[in-house]
Amino acid sequence: MESTPNKIAVLIPDELETPPLSLGQLAWRRFRRHKPAILGSVIIVLLVLYAFGSSLFISEADANRKDLSSRLLPPSAAHPFGTDTIGRDILARTVYGGQISLLIGLTAVMVETGLGILVGALAGYYGGAIDSLLMRITEAMLNIPEIFLLIVMAKYFGGKIPNLTILGREYSGSVVVIVVIIGLTSWMYLARIVRAEFLSLKENDFVLAARATGTPNREIIFRHILPNSIAPILVSATLGVANAILSEAYISFLGLGVQAPTATWGNMIDDANRYIETAPWMWFFPGLLILLTVLSINFLGDGLRDALDPRGRTV
Amino acid sequence: MTRYLIRRLLQGIPLLLIISFILFALMMNMGDPVANMGGRRVTRSSDYQRLKRQLGLDKPIYIQYLYWLAGNDWTKVDMDGDGVGETPGIRLGVLRGDFGTSLVDRSPVLELIGERIPNTLILMVAAEVLIVLGALVIGVYSALRQYSLLDHTVTALSFIGYSMPIFFVAMVSMYVFAVLFKRWGLPYLPTVGMFDPQVGETLGQVAYHMVLPVVTMSVVSLASYSRYIRSTMLDVLHQDYIRTARSKGLNSRTVVFVHALKNASLPIATVVGLDLPFLLGGAVVTERIFAWPGMGRLFLDHVSRGDTPVVMGILMLVAVAVVIFQIITDIVYAWLDPRIRYD
Amino acid sequence: MRKSLLIVVSLLVAASLVLSGCGGKTPAPTGTVQPAVTAVPSPAKKVVTIIFPQEFDTLGPLYTDMWFAWATWQLYLAWAWEFDENNEPFPKLVTEIPSADNGGISADGTVITMHLRDDIKWSDNVPITADDFIFTWQMAVSQQNTVSSAYPYDHIADVSAPDPQTVVITFAEPFAPWLATLWHGILPKHILQPIYDAEGTLDNADWLKNPTVGCGPFLLAEWQSGSFARFERNPNYWSTPAKIDEVFIRFVPEAQKEALLAGDADLGTYIPYSDVPDLENAGLKIVTEPNGYNEGLFFLDDTSGKLGNPGLRDVNVRKAIVLAIDRDAINRDLHYGLTKVPASFWDALPYYNDPPLTNYPYDPGQAKALLDAAGWKDSNGDGTRDKDGVELVLQYGTSISKDRQDTQAVIQQDLAAVGIRVEIQSLDADIFLATYGEGGPAAKGQIDIMEWSDGPVFPDADIYYWLCSEIPSADNPQGSNWFYTCDQKLNDLVALQSTQVDANARQKTISQINQLFYDQIYWIGLWQDPDVYAVGPRLQGEKFSGVTPFFNIADWDIVNP
Repeated sequence: MESTPNKIAVLIPDELETPPLSLGQLAWRRFRRHKPAILGSVIIVLLVLYAFGSSLFISEADANRKDLSSRLLPPSAAHPFGTDTIGRDILARTVYGGQISLLIGLTAVMVETGLGILVGALAGYYGGAIDSLLMRITEAMLNIPEIFLLIVMAKYFGGKIPNLTILGREYSGSVVVIVVIIGLTSWMYLARIVRAEFLSLKENDFVLAARATGTPNREIIFRHILPNSIAPILVSATLGVANAILSEAYISFLGLGVQAPTATWGNMIDDANRYIETAPWMWFFPGLLILLTVLSINFLGDGLRDALDPRGRTV
Repeated sequence: MTRYLIRRLLQGIPLLLIISFILFALMMNMGDPVANMGGRRVTRSSDYQRLKRQLGLDKPIYIQYLYWLAGNDWTKVDMDGDGVGETPGIRLGVLRGDFGTSLVDRSPVLELIGERIPNTLILMVAAEVLIVLGALVIGVYSALRQYSLLDHTVTALSFIGYSMPIFFVAMVSMYVFAVLFKRWGLPYLPTVGMFDPQVGETLGQVAYHMVLPVVTMSVVSLASYSRYIRSTMLDVLHQDYIRTARSKGLNSRTVVFVHALKNASLPIATVVGLDLPFLLGGAVVTERIFAWPGMGRLFLDHVSRGDTPVVMGILMLVAVAVVIFQIITDIVYAWLDPRIRYD
Repeated sequence: MRKSLLIVVSLLVAASLVLSGCGGKTPAPTGTVQPAVTAVPSPAKKVVTIIFPQEFDTLGPLYTDMWFAWATWQLYLAWAWEFDENNEPFPKLVTEIPSADNGGISADGTVITMHLRDDIKWSDNVPITADDFIFTWQMAVSQQNTVSSAYPYDHIADVSAPDPQTVVITFAEPFAPWLATLWHGILPKHILQPIYDAEGTLDNADWLKNPTVGCGPFLLAEWQSGSFARFERNPNYWSTPAKIDEVFIRFVPEAQKEALLAGDADLGTYIPYSDVPDLENAGLKIVTEPNGYNEGLFFLDDTSGKLGNPGLRDVNVRKAIVLAIDRDAINRDLHYGLTKVPASFWDALPYYNDPPLTNYPYDPGQAKALLDAAGWKDSNGDGTRDKDGVELVLQYGTSISKDRQDTQAVIQQDLAAVGIRVEIQSLDADIFLATYGEGGPAAKGQIDIMEWSDGPVFPDADIYYWLCSEIPSADNPQGSNWFYTCDQKLNDLVALQSTQVDANARQKTISQINQLFYDQIYWIGLWQDPDVYAVGPRLQGEKFSGVTPFFNIADWDIVNP
């Protein structure tokens, strides 16, 4: 045979302009155009470096050192972000607090995504009674305002989980509690989205083919249908991180969140509650960091949503 | 349509029962309401037993749930501690409209809630109106001027507003507009409360005190609503029939407001309708900071003292409202969109 | 469609505004004007505005122990005797305080006779008589009433009235704390007896929330739950009428400081120390009044040897702990020097702290020496001392508050400096204070160092935690001896002092207990915990008591600057 590409190029020069793009490449192109999303990604990378990378320069002992004689000092060379009510350096605390806040955001989303996918996939794929039951439970939980549910669950689990020591660092048991309750109160939105995806995808030919060849259900769900519905899951998970960080801040402000001795950006703002005017550096820096994190994640999520949207208006 | 309505209402009942059971189970394990009845001190042992018995807290959880749901006037309660019930109960139970009495101050739950609902409604409805109108204006203009400087600025601002914790906004605005403005001699807003007790609960007072809390809440929600309206409008504006209308020569204003907005209002109405019942929950954090006597504060105060009847009352009220509003929204949706039919 | 949406929304707004007008608890007061009608109050009217960061849940005596209710009672009720700014009792409804000298207390200390004034009356002109006292006792011990505490009425065998002006109280056994604990508010029999007879219980009586009839210098005019309560001068007050016309109490949970700074109130209550500098700078006067409460650390010292860290059972280890904590620094830096370190549990009752104890000094060197001598050395180089394979790691728990969290962090650092590792637990109050039966961690012996604010049954010296019979267990789930300490000598002294009606004998007993606490270090005082008030410039003549806070409210005056 003659070399087919040449023949094609000679015969139909106008129709083959660019090689066909995969979904990923298409998405990347659209994402690149979304300037806020790029900005958001850059900021997130910087923040992660700030929180985790700084531990090379600032030890945890630095963050925990109390010195009553240098309490409530405004920002200076020795303490770039000032000190708090018992003389701890706020810069160091935002570094370690940031690690916890970001970790809470990530792990809560993992819990939430895991639960949401499980419930949504089972309900969407099997349908029938299982679908009815799972959707009733989902609706039931959706009918309760999230903040109420968070408060009630925080009280329920409060004090029941002891302090943990992982890798030599002490974590208050309330960190686990927060992760669990944020996960337990936000899976419903994802479950509905996943279920909708499954409902529409399971009638497709590739699913029928898989079934015809005797593939077990579990494999169909996780290896065939799920990867095709990755787009909304990804967007939801990304925005979920922002929501989790905000939820942690709210719950800590109400006094029910992460407790001492562990610092998070949220409970640092709660600590500053009585010092709004007198020591604004106590709330300004953690507040700014929460704002930047949530903002950039929201930009990122928005960009992802635009990029992965199959209706692709702007390509 | 009637059959659909009845079916939905009937479906709502097991849903509410599930919700009530989940919540009740959660409430039961939340600390000890009797522990702190001694004021600043731990309750004395001699009083502890008596109080638990009198408040019915010594019964197993499923009995407590049963009494909560169906009352206890069909059985006898043991008030004098001899282990044998002799006083007839007086509770009718939720199914007959009796939500019980608060463990903390012995007022009927419905009375407590009834006092606070109007206050919450004033705040939340005003905020919702401001949010919807503001978001409509911002969203529509952003959609029309997509990718312009205005659009980008507004988008950036709304993202920032959307990402800020609400207590942050609240405390800062309270300091600037209430304390600092007064200090600088500028016209200022009040700090806390719903009205100045010396002047009384007049319309002017309430409106004056409402400004800061409403604006605080609006800042955060305005952002997300305007984004939603913007994207809905964009979806509609790219439809074929809009292109047809423009090509037919209709002026821009008619196209946008008569055709586009009318079609966009469908999803918007849905979102607003589904959001409305959550207004009843009040804004817990905002009410706390501005000392606004609403449902959110009632909830927070009573949750922290383990007061099951009041907390269950509030949660069930909101759940019922949500179920009803979902049905109403579906009906309104069907009425607005002739393509939808339920049987 | 948009139009219909707009119509619906406007209807909702209108509806809620109308509803708000009808909302609120508006009882039918006797002859007062609804505030909505008044525009601006006339300049001659004197109004005191007080801020309460917590709202009282009910106003009825016997049904609540909240400080905020106790303080409000001085406005519209009276106790048999009240306490002044030095926490000394003075007669109110009685002619004189019963004592052994005037025959008020019998020789064996079980019978107390009170003589009532003959001019006392309720605001509806019905005289207050011994019948009201008998009624109050009956209601307190009735099993049909869900009173918050029946103490001390459950120790009384009988109350009788030989004549309308005399009340004779017979205790089952000599009861020393009677002066501090009896007659905290009298119930009006002529109003409540019919309700009790009709309903079988007082729990739902309207008077508890809406006391239309009272016997104090003011009367409740209006109480709007969540917002405020308003009191007006009682025209039928049996004593000298009040100088001010009205008292407004506003409920402001979070932003009390802002409200005070903006000049919205004349008096602030329960002021946190962190607000003090700002308030003083703005010209407000900060007043502290001792109320018997001290914040302190209690130890899990299980006499039976099963619970907690064995280190705490050694008095030398406890001594090392008290020497290792710089308590003066905590008071000076965290509380702006407004409080001092209390050396004795009876710090606010000097009569029982005589000769006064002195504080253990801050001496970490000595602490380390003590720990070495007791055999606790760091044998494995991890920074924490150990002995016989047990690390000296202590669980340190308290309820959630910024002050306490700061203190915990500082103490953790102080103790780490001498080789004791402390793990901090910060729990919600109703979880931390839950009983053994409810799975409370402190009650179950899971917390080694417990911190809370407590004192004797002020203004009495009574204590009861350290009784062996109060140790919690499955059979005794309400036990309050969360230290699991059964020191027989201490137990006997504690049991004895509550029966000693003779003040001298009691003083000797309590002095012994005082010394025992010091020697055995059963309790470490961190700071005194007085009531903290912020007084605005317009308020004059105010005095505060640690027991009956607003005892002289009839003498308060407003002077416009």
